[in-house]
This record gives sequence, C-alpha cells and structure tokens, in this order.
Amino acid sequence: MRPRAMTSFAALLGTLALAGCSGGGDGAAKAPAADLSATPDFSGTLSVLTKFAGDPLQPYFEDLAAAYQKKHPGVKVELIQETDQSVKDKTKTLTASDALPDVFFTWSGNWAENFVRGGRAADLSKVIGPGTEWGGTFSPGSLSAFAYDGKYYGIPLYGNGKFMGYNKTAFDKAGVKVPGTFEELVGSCAALRKAGYEPIAFGNKDGWPALHYLQQLFAYDVPADVLQADFSPKTAKLDNPGYVTALNRFKTLVDTCTDTGKGTNGVLYSSAQQAFHDGKAAMYYQEVLEFDNATDKNGLKADDFGIFQLPVPQNAAGDPKTIEGAPEGYLINARSPRAALAVDFMKFVTSTQNARTLSAPPYGQPSTVVGAVTAETSSKAVYEGMEQVNKAPRLAAWLDTVTVPEVADAWLAGGEALISGGSTPDKVLASVREASESAK
Amino acid sequence: MPVRAIRQRALGLAWVAPALALVVVFVYLPLVQNFQFSTLKWDIYSGTQEYVGLDNYRKLVDDPVFWSSLGNNVLYAVVSIVFQVFGALLLAALIEGVRSERWQRGLRAVYFIPSAISMTVAGLLFYFIYEPNLGPLNHLLRAIGLDGLAQAWLGQESTAMSAIIAMSQWQGFGYSTLLFAVAIQRIPREIYGAAAIDGTGPVRRFFHVTVPLVREMTGLMMMVTVSGAFQVFNEVMVMTSGGPDNSSQVLGTWLYRSGFVRNNFGYAAAIATVIFVITLGIAVGQMWVTRRRRVEW
Repeated sequence: MRPRAMTSFAALLGTLALAGCSGGGDGAAKAPAADLSATPDFSGTLSVLTKFAGDPLQPYFEDLAAAYQKKHPGVKVELIQETDQSVKDKTKTLTASDALPDVFFTWSGNWAENFVRGGRAADLSKVIGPGTEWGGTFSPGSLSAFAYDGKYYGIPLYGNGKFMGYNKTAFDKAGVKVPGTFEELVGSCAALRKAGYEPIAFGNKDGWPALHYLQQLFAYDVPADVLQADFSPKTAKLDNPGYVTALNRFKTLVDTCTDTGKGTNGVLYSSAQQAFHDGKAAMYYQEVLEFDNATDKNGLKADDFGIFQLPVPQNAAGDPKTIEGAPEGYLINARSPRAALAVDFMKFVTSTQNARTLSAPPYGQPSTVVGAVTAETSSKAVYEGMEQVNKAPRLAAWLDTVTVPEVADAWLAGGEALISGGSTPDKVLASVREASESAK
Repeated sequence: MPVRAIRQRALGLAWVAPALALVVVFVYLPLVQNFQFSTLKWDIYSGTQEYVGLDNYRKLVDDPVFWSSLGNNVLYAVVSIVFQVFGALLLAALIEGVRSERWQRGLRAVYFIPSAISMTVAGLLFYFIYEPNLGPLNHLLRAIGLDGLAQAWLGQESTAMSAIIAMSQWQGFGYSTLLFAVAIQRIPREIYGAAAIDGTGPVRRFFHVTVPLVREMTGLMMMVTVSGAFQVFNEVMVMTSGGPDNSSQVLGTWLYRSGFVRNNFGYAAAIATVIFVITLGIAVGQMWVTRRRRVEW
C-alpha cells in the first residue's frame, strides 16, 4: 500500500468539497430566467457538454462547431465531450459547483426533471413548444419527452429504442425463425447453441444492461398505469405480481440463453457486442444507436443483420406494444448569459441537413427531426428500428433514468444479484421497495 | 523578549505562513467543510441545503452496504499486512541474503516493476486477465485440467473482492520489498558477522537480528498499509465499480456511489468523515507505537 491511496482519497474529498463550494441556501431556483427572445450576440465563448466522446461520434460536434464558428467568426464553441458513463459524473460535479455549461446533454425522465425542478434548465416553450417554427421540425413525441407541467425544456437530438439484433445466418443454420413470443425465444436457444453459437451475448459488468431487459419485461408484465406510478417514490407501491414474473423471466433468459450465465456480471457490454459482431453469438440486445456499429466488412454483414422487438410473453398483463426507448437531447442553462446564442447554435445543430448527417453512417444516431431518417439516408436497420419506435403507442424510458437514482441503483444491484444467483426475485423487489420508501 | 528575538520569530513565521495557509486552505478547511456537509441534506439541483443534524450518521449505522464495505476494507488491510508487510520483509531478507550484488539488483528490479504501473492500468490489465471468456487465467486453468475452477472472478459476489485484493498485492508487494531491502541494508554488517561467529543460522539471524532491527520500518509499513487499505478506491472502481450487488464495495467507492450516483452528497460526506476518523486513529496509534520502538545503533 502506498501514498497514492491517500492522494486518491484526498482527490475524492476535494471533489466533494469542490462540489460544495457554491452550496448555498438560495439555490439555483432563484436564478434569473434566460432571455431567449433576445437577439443573439454573435461573440464570446459558448460552452457545450456532449455525450459524443470517442469514435465514431466525436467528430460530429467538432465539425458542427467548426462550421458554426466559420459562419459566426466572433463565436468560439468550447466543446466538453464525454462518454455515456463519464457524462453522468461530469454533469453532477458541474451542477453542484454551479458551473454548468451553456448547453448540456440530458436523458429524458427523472434525469432531465431534476434540472427542471432545480431551476437549472431554461423554459424553451416559446421557441420549441408546439406551434413554434422550430418545434414544428421535431416529432411531437420527442418534444413531449422533455415536457414537464406543460412546459417544454429539452431539445431532442436523436430517438432511441431497444431491440434484439440477430444474425440471420445463425438463425438459418439452426433452423430457427424469429420468435413470436418470449417462450419461443427461450425455446430457440438450445438449437442455436447446437449450431455452434452463443444464443444471446450479454455483458453486465456495468449493471445497466440488465436494467434494459428488466424495463422491457416490466412494461409487458406490469400494467402501464401501475408501472408509471411506481417510478415515483411518492406514489410507488411496487407490489404488483408482474414484477416478480418479469424478474423470473429475466433469470430464465440469462440461465438458458447466455453462455456466461451466472458470470455475466464479469463481462463487458462491449465484449458481448464484439461477440455478436464477430459472428460468435446469434443475438444481442441493443439500442438503435448501436445498429451501425454492429456490422462492418470485417464482421457481421449488414445484410445478415436483423432486428425484432423483445418478444412479448404469453398472457402478459402489461402493454405488449410498449417499446423500451427514449429520445436523448440537450438543455440550455437557465443562468446562461448567452441563452439566445445557445438556442441559435442548437437550431443550427438540428437543421435538416445536420440532422440527416447525424442519422446516416458512421454516426447512425436517428435524429428526432422529421424527415431526417429516411430509407435513403439511414441504414436499413436504423430506419426499420425508428419506424417501429415511432409507431409504438408508448415508450418505456430507461429504468436507470426514469426513476430516482436511489431506486435505480437498487434495481441495478438487484439485477446483478439475480444474475449471479445471490438473490431471488422476491428479495430483489423487497430491496427496491425499501429504497423507494427511503427516497420518499 | 528582546526586539531582535521577536523580529526573528516574526521572520520565521513569515517564511512558513504561505505553506501554512496552503495547508489550512487545502487540507484542514475541506475537512471541516466535509463535516459540515455531513449534517446536511443537500439537493445539488436546486442548491438547497437542509440541516439534518446527525441523521446521516444514524443512516450509516442501519446501512448494510456500509458495514459490508467496512468489512471489505478490514479484509483488505489484513491481507495487505500479511503480504505487503510480513511477506515483503521475508522476501527482502531473502534478496539481501543473495551473495551476488548483480542478482540482488536484478531481483529488486523484478519485484519492483509492478509498482511502477499505475493502479488504474493494473486494474484494467487484471480485468482482462480475470475476464471469464477471453481471460488468460481461465484459459490457463482449463489448459491444466482445472476446468472446475474457471469462473467469472469479478462477476460473482463470492470471488470479486478476493480477486481485487489479489491484484492489489501483486501491485504493491514490490514497493514494500524495496523499502524493507533499504532498511536491511542499513543494518551494520558487523552484527550479522557477530551472529554468524556465534553459530546462528540464517533463520535465527532473520528473527533475532533482521526483524528487531527493521521494526521501525515495519511499524511505518503497517501504518501506511492499514491506513491505505481504508482509502482503497481506484482498483475497485476500475475492476467492478463495487459490484456485483455491492459485494466489492469499499468505503471509498460507497462514498462515491452515494454522492455521485445516488445524489446523496450529505450521506457521502458522512462516510468520508468515518474514513477520516479511522485513518487518523490508525496513524496516531501507529506513530505512538513506533516512537516507543525507535532503533538506534
């Protein structure tokens, strides 16, 4: 053991202290409202926190920033690009230290709601709400995902949904058809294994991939109104028998259809993704955003790649048409002195041309701008996935962002325990109920 | 007091004042602030802070993950003492007993190399070594016919913490060995010569000459090892993030998770205070013990 441990601890303590430096009783809720109607002053630095760090997404905002700066030479766009994982910590640290950038990434659900409740997200109703010119360019559902108490706060950038991706050759070799029910899906795994494939590749090292299965199964097994009420600790009961049914189904799927079984918690999400890409696994549960990375000339070919919604179990008590997914977007800092410039920049980002670029390979992020995702501009899988998402009467947002963090964390630990066999569905539900009770 | 003496004192104080100010601002003030935060329920989004007294500490007592995290820290400390203090001392004595100086230098370098790797890099490296499908550890076990032992080392509650501790011992062992080697080199050779003339063998020389004469270093290593064991963070974050099902949480990672994942910064500050009290207690205790056991020759 060496002094480095002391350094780590000091850094952690320092971060906590730094996060608290701005802490005051006043709160951000009393911050002056951002003036969105003002004419943008095309000068100064505009800071933007994105979730596009790393390949292949990183160049998207870099190119846009360069183009915007060329258009407005007085403006410097400062990008803070983070990954899916690191953006969570970064955003919270910046929030706690009152240093949020002018524009910042957000998920929908409870994640965005926290910024709205805290007065940190500008009310964009006048510029992006229904009936406005800019608002008219987005699909209505994507705008509603960021609406709270009738006000519109978010700029949806891309839509998303979760589907089972499958290898058509593997299915043919095993003599398996696209399953129509959850039972058929589980039943097909033996044939796929016999044909030399891992039926479903699954890596749960980070915990959240299990939540994606769970949320879709909850939507099938728990009535929609009950599920909605259970997301909020104030109204949650979490006593519907559908939860235990769904948890049992998930356990069956892991034990029957993955080669890693109880050891799935030790496998990276990306390792599972690679196994599917390399043709070693027949199926892989993935987001629309990942479709364009699942195939390439060295691995699974685009023509061999198919998708289907996680099949609905027989006699499920919930809504069979719900698809798990939610748009992701951006908020504008309510305290930003450059709010009008931030709106202008985001209008530029979501212009039809830029939205099409975002939706096409190599980015493959299906824009929420109407007409951006077409059979011509996007890959077949992305187009097909978004068609299904747009047709779905209801979307179930990600379990780790739709509910409060304490409850989400309890679901996450419960999912891991279920996989490893360390807990039972009843015990997992009890621990989540306890977390929800504590978060009231 | 003469004016000159006063002036000299003032000058001395002026010289240390900047350093003192830095220590106060960057060490002691955050400690006090941290305790303040631990008495608050703090919503980072709205910025509101509600005074809750010692509620966060009461919550700690009822939190099973806090206790299992503390247990993991204790386990980490015990294993580290065995390997990084006593094991390293034994290894250092063996290396220093090698007659060839070239071999001594070579062996010291071999054992020290893992310590030159950053803990984050070592954590990632071992993550892949432990990987259930592609990792070399399971491949090796299968190759020698021990298929039954191949498992998801970091993916099961029963093995995750032990796997992390094992990696940490590999990484820290060489550093402790090097420090003990330096301590052994400081022992006058005449003492070993006299012991040899008296007919003592290498084992007795180790227990009756080496061990007593490096006790100051042993005490120091115990202090550094134990207090370090309560500040473990990087290796757990990189390898398991505290999972599965919080089974490999240590106080540092539970602090992080409580604050940055569960949005409970007041509770996180309470955990930080507990870590501080534990490490301070260990440091004070060890300093007191080692002061009484100073070796002089």
